[in-house]
Amino acid sequence: MAFNARISMPAEARAGDIIEIRVLTRHPMDRGGQSDGKGGTVPRKILNRLTATYAGEAIFRLDMYTGVSANPFVSFTTRAVETGDIVFEWREDGGAVYTRAARLTVT
Amino acid sequence: MSLPISPLSRPSEPAPSRRDIVVGTGVGLGLAALPSSALAATLPALPELIARLTEGAVPERGRITLEIPALVENGNSVDARIVVESPMTEADHVRWIHLIAEKNPFLDMARFHLGPRSGRAEVATTLRLATSQKVTAVAALSTGGYLMSDVDVVVTLSACIDGG
Repeated sequence: MAFNARISMPAEARAGDIIEIRVLTRHPMDRGGQSDGKGGTVPRKILNRLTATYAGEAIFRLDMYTGVSANPFVSFTTRAVETGDIVFEWREDGGAVYTRAARLTVT
Repeated sequence: MSLPISPLSRPSEPAPSRRDIVVGTGVGLGLAALPSSALAATLPALPELIARLTEGAVPERGRITLEIPALVENGNSVDARIVVESPMTEADHVRWIHLIAEKNPFLDMARFHLGPRSGRAEVATTLRLATSQKVTAVAALSTGGYLMSDVDVVVTLSACIDGG
């Protein structure tokens, strides 16, 4: 499988709490430039952007370049405001988009 | 004077004449100019890169911590954590944090965009490092200032060699 993501964060939090969200992604993050054996080079194919949206607004964005490792790990924080899904969207070179969501219950 | 260790470290025998100094300086200048311009063509200097990010402003040191191991066995995956002391309010928050590796083939590694809803300015990721080098984190504040921190990292097994 070329892409897979494991999101770990608390399932519930009190309003106003700051929660840490950790995302481990499975992706080769191929930086390109190697010979393809036919006189050309392999194009770059990495996840170039991760956006997290929660309660109607992008709360976090990570722009990734070739300096991010294969199977990248990312962690960031957000303040719990309301019960809802945190939607993660990855954009890959070539235009593919992957989406995952995790539910946060706010008490 | 101690004993010379190698022929290179041996002091020159006679005292230099004025002519030697004049000629030597000319040669030295010629030699010195060549490598620096050649280096500048391949590797832009770190201050220039930072100036490009901050649009000319000089970032302050302090209030930002870049946690990265000083000795890395495998450059293919290096844990890095950046913490900025900031209240993260609407008026005063960190806009973004940018990571630079001065000797990677592609110097920009990642940029984290944060906002007041982040709660804390604390992010982590895994990086690729091509060789032993200085890793720099630059943070942009909503108040207009910039912060920076850098760490010298020694990489035993570099990324970009085994194709991984």
